[in-house]
Amino acid sequence: MRPIGTSLTNNRGTSPVTIVAGLALLAALLLFPQLVKSPYALHIMILLFLSTIMGESWNILGGYTGQYSVGHAAYFGVGAYTTMVLMQNHQVAPWYGVWAGVALVVVVAVAIGSICFRLRGPYFVLASIAVAEVMRLSAMNLKDLTNGAEGILAVEIPAFTLGGTVITDFLSKVPFYYIGLALAILTIVVTWLVQHSKLGYCFQAIREDQDAAHSLGIHLSLYKNVALIISAIFTALAGSFYAIYVGFIDPTTVLALDLSVQIVLICIIGGIGTIWGPVIGALVLVPLSEALRSNLITQMLIKSGLVSGESAIGIFLKEHLSHAHALIYGILVVIVILFMPDGVLGFAKKLLAKRNRRTA
Amino acid sequence: MAILEIKHVSKFFGGLAANSDVSFDVEQGMIMGLIGPNGAGKTTLFNCITGYYPPSRGEVLFKGQRMNGLEPDRVCKLGMARTWQKVRPLAKLSVLDNVVVGALCRTNSVKVARDLAHEQLKVVGLDHKSAFLAGGLPIGERKKLEVARVLATKPELLLLDEVMGGLNPAESEEIIQLILDIKKTGVTQIVIEHDMKAIMRLSDRIVVLNSGEKLAEGGPQEIVSNPEVIEAYLGSEH
Repeated sequence: MRPIGTSLTNNRGTSPVTIVAGLALLAALLLFPQLVKSPYALHIMILLFLSTIMGESWNILGGYTGQYSVGHAAYFGVGAYTTMVLMQNHQVAPWYGVWAGVALVVVVAVAIGSICFRLRGPYFVLASIAVAEVMRLSAMNLKDLTNGAEGILAVEIPAFTLGGTVITDFLSKVPFYYIGLALAILTIVVTWLVQHSKLGYCFQAIREDQDAAHSLGIHLSLYKNVALIISAIFTALAGSFYAIYVGFIDPTTVLALDLSVQIVLICIIGGIGTIWGPVIGALVLVPLSEALRSNLITQMLIKSGLVSGESAIGIFLKEHLSHAHALIYGILVVIVILFMPDGVLGFAKKLLAKRNRRTA
Repeated sequence: MAILEIKHVSKFFGGLAANSDVSFDVEQGMIMGLIGPNGAGKTTLFNCITGYYPPSRGEVLFKGQRMNGLEPDRVCKLGMARTWQKVRPLAKLSVLDNVVVGALCRTNSVKVARDLAHEQLKVVGLDHKSAFLAGGLPIGERKKLEVARVLATKPELLLLDEVMGGLNPAESEEIIQLILDIKKTGVTQIVIEHDMKAIMRLSDRIVVLNSGEKLAEGGPQEIVSNPEVIEAYLGSEH
């Protein structure tokens, strides 16, 4: 057995190389919209940010506290619906509506937490799914408020003005890029702060052994609810952001079980309970799902000459592979769980450690 | 002065009385041995005292305060802490971080907690392992970690549930010394142990449980010469 050489709060400090690399990456991200004008590239980046925000939020509750919620669409939906309903029905600008969504989601989270945290393990998972489904069905049926299954379409987003001057008109993707980037960085910073504070210790103690944590003076329901509230707030922000960006929401996109599962997958694929896991998960899943959706894989197979575009297989792939999105997702998850139980990040760390041992 | 008073405590699981009408006092600063054959209700009594189950009847007073119905985290904050018969390390955290979690019971500062944790690890002789994963420790060191972690919560009363179970004689000896050192710091202890030699050496007083009832109470010498205790342990033919 070897020492892991780390504590949750390490005093070793960060190496200058890491700091320089981090700053360079940040500068590149800030300059990206100036250098790359392709709306599709910006769109992909915005989806990356959105996935990172969702993943990091879930990670606080699922990864650090060990409460595997498969109902995070509920919080996403609350954020999305609050912002959109206020904007469309009450002419409230989204940058105020977002905060109304955050306030509402805290209330919803406390209510859901007080029900679901009575349960442990798989029972908690089932309860979290059930509660999210209740929210979805409510959104379907409260037609006066949510417009039911038809969803809400935002025709235009009011420009963001400050003291009479227009800050941005939201006509291009660039403002969304910067908002997404800022929120993604914010969630990473919050995760870092949580991990290095008493909260992080209490969350992880609960994850590792609830009874032991309880006997060491940790108030279980208090800390679980704190984790849930932090997690729900950022998930709701992601929901609001999505709603304004896409301009259309309905119960089957923002309150669906699919979405809840997708949020969990970002973390499982990247690495649960780590700061960078959700970022890695987003970097894997977003390009993959885009490639599948646009049938990039079939095009590549045909181009490379492996499959003829006119053959039966080629035609089959052209027609069906883009619909096999969920299937390929599923296969990927099985592969990751089988071969990389700690996610891509954990797997990479293990490989690195192996190489270091060989060279040492 | 009695730091802990157990008054007519009973605990029923359905029709089974795991504890029935158990009463005794624990004086400040002493080591109380709690012994009895398997299934005598020792761990159940610990669970009733520390808030894991409310007693079905009777009451537990800690420093004169009624503890019935308090949650384990409250009990720990009030100064009464326990270890587990089956050790419960926070497996994916380092040895140091395990103890930091305990220390955070008394402080909100992670830095203060880390200093305290190092101190406690030194007390149990585990500081050199502080950067190891708790889940990878051998059993002897897990037991020490359990003690360090619980000491970090700064208890006035410590309940040790078979901390020597599964240890070799050398390791047991270390734990015995550790318990005696803890006594010197003024912490009151209740010790559940099967090793009779150890319990005789450690205890100022001993309570014997059998089938959930208190069979005997007294100093170590009284207990070993008590015919009822001998019968409970070795059978009446002895």
